[in-house]
Amino acid sequence: MNGLQSLSNDLAAAVERASRAVFAVNGRARLGSSGVHWRPGLVVTADHTVHVDEEVTITGPDGRALTARVAGRDPTIDVAVLKVDAPAVAVAEVADSDAVRVGHIVLALGSGPRASWGVVSSVGEGRMLHLDLTLYPGFSGGPLVDAQGRVVGLNTSGASRHWQLAVPAAAVSRVVDELLRRGRIPRAYLGVSTQPVRLPEPVRQRLNLDQQTAVIVVEVQAASPAAEAGLMIGDVIVSLGATRIADPTDLKSALRPDRVGESITASVIRGGEPKDFQVIVGERPRR
Amino acid sequence: MNALIDIAALAEHLRRVTVEVTDAGELLGSGVLWPAGCVVTNAHVVRRPEATLRLVDGRCLRARVLARDSDADLALLGVPGTGLPAATLAEPATIRIGSFVAAVGHPLGVRGALSTGIVCAIGPIERSGRPWIQADLHLAPGNSGGPLADAAGRIVGVNSRAAGPLALAVPMSAVERFVQAARG
Repeated sequence: MNGLQSLSNDLAAAVERASRAVFAVNGRARLGSSGVHWRPGLVVTADHTVHVDEEVTITGPDGRALTARVAGRDPTIDVAVLKVDAPAVAVAEVADSDAVRVGHIVLALGSGPRASWGVVSSVGEGRMLHLDLTLYPGFSGGPLVDAQGRVVGLNTSGASRHWQLAVPAAAVSRVVDELLRRGRIPRAYLGVSTQPVRLPEPVRQRLNLDQQTAVIVVEVQAASPAAEAGLMIGDVIVSLGATRIADPTDLKSALRPDRVGESITASVIRGGEPKDFQVIVGERPRR
Repeated sequence: MNALIDIAALAEHLRRVTVEVTDAGELLGSGVLWPAGCVVTNAHVVRRPEATLRLVDGRCLRARVLARDSDADLALLGVPGTGLPAATLAEPATIRIGSFVAAVGHPLGVRGALSTGIVCAIGPIERSGRPWIQADLHLAPGNSGGPLADAAGRIVGVNSRAAGPLALAVPMSAVERFVQAARG
């Protein structure tokens, strides 16, 4: 057997292995999505594909339809967690997504199973995996697996039509752990509205910043964590809890659910001068 | 992974069993040298009773359409005495989702072009449609009728069309049935 044949067999074995934990998720009217049996009784999928708030029908690899309940969501990274009783369906083998490097061969799986392949093209902010592969319709919420069939991420094409992305497995596990710990997934918030802003070159040089843009605070909600910390309209946030903030999306992804209650540093520019604030991340009041 | 991955050798092997189907100098598509003395291609590639086949060694031969089935989108042409060995077929059971596949053809007139990917799914793309080998692989006009092969160069299907970035190939089992029926 030549090298190509053995690679081919490895890829097929990886699909077979990983697809045992893949569900079809019928969370929206037209196009279904996929989901991964992440922990016993917990299926994760792409949040943007779950339009219902209560019950969702999901179909296991054995073709059996089951009723799942939406247990929590983290729209900041496009993850929804569904609770279901599916003891007969295998639980995914989740690998360390921090070990994923640019150039690694990966497979994207959808329910069916269906598969596509390619490589990791870059690793972005929050270790989001940018992929050089095709996510076919219905692949959102399915697993990104390595050549051994271990899950390294959750595929999503929701955030952008131009990029094929996967949420790293570590971030998905954080959300699932948070749900198990608190019984729900809280939504972290600061209480600011922001807009992207370009940093003037002299300011960048003087403050030794490598980012071109940041976000400017255009609203501070009364009695919010931001107001308590002393943030004001006109402050330019350049980083939050060691995460560089280049646009409002970065701010969203820095506000992870597990950071609720944590004190983090907001580095801002006020009147041209750098200033650090300690902010205690709040939980967005539920409506 | 230390084993040599030689895709160039696979491409070379597939080019030997791939023909160019033309008529009056116009490129119509591709074809597979199989079974011996014949070429199989898509029905939509050959609409006239005869076509010209250009072999890998540059020889151009006139060939007659022996059978045509537009529902299955398959056609069989007779080319006796080429002296070239016919393609080898894969065992249907060896085709798995995720396994490596390669296509050779003449997309947009590019002679002997190779594209590679994996088997995405096997089955119809719409309810009650006919089964396809769906490959995660790029095809363009001119690939029609050419081979889809496994990692060992054995033919798994005849490339028929693209559905966006997805390649659709007629499974070899359907091609064999067509050829058997055509030969009586």
